Amino acid sequence: MRYYRFGNPQGRFLGNTEKYSVYEKVISEQKHEMPAETYQNLPGELTFAYGPATGGLMESVAFNMHTPGEVIKHIEVDPYVKTRRLKVKGLTPRDALLMVERINGFHAASNAVAFEMAVEDALDIDVPEEVQYSRLIMLELERIRSNLEVVKRVCEPAGFGVPQNQIAYLRENVARIISRLSGHRYFFSASSVGGCQISKSGIETRIGGVRKEFQEIFDALLQSKIFLNRLQNNGNISEGSLLGPAARASGMKVDARLDEKLIPYRKLGFRPVIFDEPDAFGRFYVRSQEILASADMILEALDNNENSTEVDTAGMNGEGAARIESPQGDLFYYVKISDGRIDDIQMSSPSLLNIDAFRKSMAGNIFTDYHFNWESFGIWISELAVVMQ
Amino acid sequence: MSSIWFLNGLRKGIKTERYPSADPAAAPQWPSRLSGSDAGNCPVDAITSDGWIIEKCIFCRRCLPDYQPTGEQDIFTVKKAETAFRKSFHVFPLDSGACGSCNMEFLSIFSPQYDANRLGIFMVNTPRHADAIVIMGVMTPGMKEALDRAYEAMPEPRLVIALGACAVTGGIVGDAPLDREKYHVEIAGCPPSPYTVLAALNAARGGINSHTDSGWRSEEVR
Ligand code: SF4
Ligand code: SF4
Repeated sequence: MRYYRFGNPQGRFLGNTEKYSVYEKVISEQKHEMPAETYQNLPGELTFAYGPATGGLMESVAFNMHTPGEVIKHIEVDPYVKTRRLKVKGLTPRDALLMVERINGFHAASNAVAFEMAVEDALDIDVPEEVQYSRLIMLELERIRSNLEVVKRVCEPAGFGVPQNQIAYLRENVARIISRLSGHRYFFSASSVGGCQISKSGIETRIGGVRKEFQEIFDALLQSKIFLNRLQNNGNISEGSLLGPAARASGMKVDARLDEKLIPYRKLGFRPVIFDEPDAFGRFYVRSQEILASADMILEALDNNENSTEVDTAGMNGEGAARIESPQGDLFYYVKISDGRIDDIQMSSPSLLNIDAFRKSMAGNIFTDYHFNWESFGIWISELAVVMQ
Repeated sequence: MSSIWFLNGLRKGIKTERYPSADPAAAPQWPSRLSGSDAGNCPVDAITSDGWIIEKCIFCRRCLPDYQPTGEQDIFTVKKAETAFRKSFHVFPLDSGACGSCNMEFLSIFSPQYDANRLGIFMVNTPRHADAIVIMGVMTPGMKEALDRAYEAMPEPRLVIALGACAVTGGIVGDAPLDREKYHVEIAGCPPSPYTVLAALNAARGGINSHTDSGWRSEEVR
C-alpha cells in the first residue's frame, strides 16, 4: 500500500467498512462505533413511521420520527432494509468491477475509479497522467449530475416547479453527455483497471451549455427570498464527523481531492468550495457552486486527457487502498488480491456519516422541513445497504 | 417572484420530444437491442445456442464485436396490456433492492425531454392509488413484506411491471423479486433508458408506440 497503512486511529474519521474504520491515511482495526441512539416518547408524543416503500422517496429507507405534533424531537433512520449481498470475493478484478459499478449506479464512476485505484495500488500498476485526466472528467461529470439532482430535489418541496423542471432537463442532458462520452448513461463498463475508455467528441460545447444554463437558474434562485427562507436555518449541523458538501457548507476545508496524488486535481489548481452556513441552504449553495467549478475543470482537462486499455492482472498478488471524493464525500476502497483474484474487499461509503449528520440536524426541526433537509444531504442508500461476500 | 419564474419558463420554450410517436432524439447504444451471433464470454450467460436473451443481458459490451448495439429502444415485453388505463395510468415505483440507476431512469421519464404526464402517465406515492406497481432491483429479505403489502394494497385491475435486469431475472446482482409468470410487463436493460421505460408503460395500457412507422424524427433539444 503506497498511501495507506494499518495503524491506530489518527486524523479525520471517514467511515466504516465491514471490518475496519477509515481515516485520512490510516486503516484501523479498532472500530469507531456509531451507537444507534434510541428515544423514549414522552407523554403526548407519538412515533410516526415513514417508508420504506413510498413514491416520495427515491430509494427504500425507513424513518421513525418522534413528535408531540409539529416539532420532530428525534428521528431514527434505518438504511439497511434493502441490503443486497453481492458476490465479489473470488472474482478477478475485471469481473468484480461489474459488481462494484452496481453498488451505487448513480455514483458508478466514483465507485469504479476508487476500486480500480485500490487494485492498481495493490498491484503496483502505474497509470499515465493523461489517463488520470480522463478519470477526472468522469468523476467531475458524475458530480455535476449528482449535484443537479440534489439541487432539483431541494426545489421540489419548496414548490419551485419551474426551476425544478429546468434542472431536471439539465440533468437529463448531462446523462446524454455521459452516454456520448462513455457509451453508457451511468458510466457502466467505461473504465477498467489500468485505464479508461472515453470519447470526447462534442463534449466541450455541451458542457459549456449546461454550465451557462445552470448559472442562470442558480442566480435566479438566489434572488428568491421565499426559497432562501425555506432553506436557511433548516437542518443546522456544524459539529461531529462531517464530510463532503455538508462539511464544506459548515466551513470545513475537507475534500479528498485536496489529498489526491494521482488524479491531477492540483495541476488544475483545484480549490474546494467552502461556505459558512451549516444548513440546507449552505449545502444547496456548495453543491451549486461545485457544478460550475466541475464544469470548468472538465473543460480544462479535455485538453490533456487520453485513453488506455485494460491491464492484465492474472496471477498477481497485493494489498491496496484508495480514496476519492464522490459527490457525497470520501469514498474508500481496500482490496487484497491473491493469485489474480479478490481475496478481500472493503468499502466505506460517505452515506454512513451523512445519515448520522442528517439525523442529528433534524432534532427540533418541524415536519415540513424534513423533506428539504433529507434531500439537501444527497444521500444514496444503495451504497450503504450492501454486503460484499 | 412567481411571475418571474413563469416568464422564465415560457422563455425557454417547449423542450419535450415527441417520442413515442416519433423516433427517439438521443437513443443510447447501451442499452439497446443487440444484433449478432456466436459470441462467448458473457458474464451472465445471456448468449445461448438459441441466441441472445434480452432480459438477462446487463449490456456490459463484452460480446463486442460479435454482437453490436442497434440503438433500438424496444427492449421490453408486454404480456398483458390493460386498456382500462388508456386515459390515465398511475404507477407506484417500488425499490426492492436496486442500485439507484433504475430508480433514476424511472424518474427521468418525468423530466421535460420525456414528460410522461403528457401521455397521462403519473407517479403516485402510495400503492392504494396505483394501477401498476413498477418493481426495481433484486429481492432483498428486508423488502419482502413491503412488496407483498404494496401488491395487496393495490385495487383491481392491476399490473405488475418489472423494470431492469435485476427485477426481471436477477441480472448480475442476485435473485429476482418475483417469478416471471407474475409479471405482466418485463423491461430489460441495466438500466433501461427512459425511452424504453416510457414506451413500455405506454404499451402496458394499450397505447401505440408509433415511432417505428411514423418516419418523424424529433430534434434533440439542447
Ligand atoms: S452485453 Fe449482454 S450479451 Fe453481451 S456479454 Fe454483456 S451481458 Fe452478455
Ligand atoms: S438492473 Fe442494473 S441498473 Fe437496474 S438496479 Fe439492477 S444493477 Fe442497477
